[in-house]
Amino acid sequence: MKFIVSSSELLKHLATISGVIANNPIVPILENFLLQLDETNLTITASDMQTVMITEAQVESSDKGSIAVPAKLLMETLRSLPEQPVTITIDEDTFGTEIVTANGRFKLAGENPMDFPRAPEVNRNFSIELDSDVLGTAISNTIFATSTDDLRPAMTGVFVQLDSDHTTFVATDGHRLIRYRREDVKSDNATNMILPRKALTLLKSSLPSETLPVKAEFSNSNAFFSFGNIKMICRLIDERFPDYENVIPQNNPNHMKIGRAELLSTLKRISIYSNKTTHQIRLKVDNNNLEISAEDLDYSNEANEKLGCEYNGEPIEIGFNAKFLVEMLSNLNTDNLTLEMSQPNRAGLIIPEDKADNEDMLMLVMPVMLNSYS
Amino acid sequence: MDAFFASVEQRDNPELRGKPVAVGGSAQRGVVAAASYEARKFGVKSALPSVTAKRHCPNLIFVKPRFDQYKRVSNQIREIFAEYTPLIEPLSLDEAYLDVTENLKGIETATEIARQIRQKVKEQTQLTASAGVSFNKFLAKTASDVNKPDGMFVIKPHQAQAFVEKLEVRRFFGIGKVTAEKMVKLGIFTGKELREKSLEYLVNHFGKAGQYYYEICRGEDHRQVNPERIRKSVGVENTFKTDYNEPDDLYRELDIILEELQKRLQRSKAYGKTVTLKIKYQDFEQITRSRTSQLLIMDQNTIGHMAYELLNALLPLNKGVRLMGVTLSNLEFADEIEGRQLTLDF
Repeated sequence: MKFIVSSSELLKHLATISGVIANNPIVPILENFLLQLDETNLTITASDMQTVMITEAQVESSDKGSIAVPAKLLMETLRSLPEQPVTITIDEDTFGTEIVTANGRFKLAGENPMDFPRAPEVNRNFSIELDSDVLGTAISNTIFATSTDDLRPAMTGVFVQLDSDHTTFVATDGHRLIRYRREDVKSDNATNMILPRKALTLLKSSLPSETLPVKAEFSNSNAFFSFGNIKMICRLIDERFPDYENVIPQNNPNHMKIGRAELLSTLKRISIYSNKTTHQIRLKVDNNNLEISAEDLDYSNEANEKLGCEYNGEPIEIGFNAKFLVEMLSNLNTDNLTLEMSQPNRAGLIIPEDKADNEDMLMLVMPVMLNSYS
Repeated sequence: MDAFFASVEQRDNPELRGKPVAVGGSAQRGVVAAASYEARKFGVKSALPSVTAKRHCPNLIFVKPRFDQYKRVSNQIREIFAEYTPLIEPLSLDEAYLDVTENLKGIETATEIARQIRQKVKEQTQLTASAGVSFNKFLAKTASDVNKPDGMFVIKPHQAQAFVEKLEVRRFFGIGKVTAEKMVKLGIFTGKELREKSLEYLVNHFGKAGQYYYEICRGEDHRQVNPERIRKSVGVENTFKTDYNEPDDLYRELDIILEELQKRLQRSKAYGKTVTLKIKYQDFEQITRSRTSQLLIMDQNTIGHMAYELLNALLPLNKGVRLMGVTLSNLEFADEIEGRQLTLDF
């Protein structure tokens, strides 16, 4: 079989899905792209067994056939070529693959396409449709708070709860928790699932810059996403997500309203002076004054800044991991926010003041213990 | 150390030597903290109300305790211990477990180490100490009482069985007066009878401690000598000058106790989860009531609230109260918890 394609066009397609390919795949065949040619339609598949991404490219050809090609070699070759049409010829008996360019020829050993694992059967229970920018926002609002601890697999993904009047996206690493809710995404089938972090990261980066409808379909064990010429199939995390509603405090009486940008830049400065392992900073709030301080006893470094705020509550001194706060505030899109606290060893809540009508955002962060004895 | 507080007083004040001495308050409601051996002959012992002690021994001399001085002597003896092993687990100011399995001086036998330590203690403090030598904590502690004062007792592995069998239950370390009485009622007088009871029987009658009794009567004790044995509670209790019947008096006393507790917590830099209120009524009936918070209690007010709630639950009083105390336990210490990232409770 043989096809002609623009080198940069093909590279673009490969790059969109190549993130799926693991560095050390369980089976060597997964180091390849699966190319399936049906005349002018070239379907390219990458897989790590958990996640499969498929893209379709238009090529010049009248052949049919398929081949598995080493992903790294193919991409490096295309990347190093100046933009030009390339002719790719495959010997389906030996799986030898030849790329002919303007000035030369590159021969690489392909593999039997029949060895490439099939994507999970599409056994869809139901589907929803949402805009790509909504999906992108939901992913970037939550994914940073997922856990990397494989001992708690449920927390390594984003929990998605579909309901008839809204959809809730929840992520937690046990120290903080994000609950992002959209009222413009709903499903008559109330259900929930945990989408793995890797699939969501790939999905997010392959979403187009322009808004496009995304079709999401779900079965008991897999989720299917399709938009434009891209499809993704990922295995759901088959675990029970922790009962997150239970840990969200209902009554945090101490409310501090403050400007987000101002707080964020102070946190960034002060955290330079915090302990390098705990990133511990101290928030002292009283009488519309917030004092943020940090010290690194190992180096005798210390810093503090004072900020104005609107405070309603008992004077409080509470410690947090500055990295967590910085990451959370950076993911908020609001001028002002409220930090709701109760006790120095209980969860604090961050609630943005500005939000779209159809969204709701709650961030929870557990404190770092302070020594309150002097 | 033998009759520690009393011996220190007798050492520092020659006039007290050879006389019955009690360290503690002589006042109407004081108690004996320590009694010299001369006083012990009259049945004066620690925790005895001073008034009763005086009745037992009319010539008893009361001396006010000087804790700073005891602390100094305590440090002196601990320095001696430290020459032999880093594995020292203090039980109190004047008592400690030493694991000398691998000792710093390479001395072959524990008996020899005990001999040297007792000799050095005598030279450096002019006070006598007693030692128990054995292959676990329970037996060593029990052995230390056998030849008190100024004595030593060794229990070798092959002797353990016979020793424990003959031991009266009230002599077992970890079996107090109340438990011993209960055992006697159940026909358990010595280690021999205790051994005959099944683990199930002991757990049924004595709860969690049953497991411990089951082991110690077999001479078994697998606890390590723990050099970092940390304090388990911080508490304050006061015996009132007169018995109180009115809640307002108790509230006022409770505030005083809470304030002192706060000072002690500050000193030990401790936080806790469990608040226990102890009340002793005029007829010496004693009760304790406690509440445990799920999270470490971070502010003093909460300790106060919890103590008040515990007290209120005991009102109205139907008899006078002579003593009240508040203890915080389930402790964690500021230096351990500082910088700890808290986790959601999933």
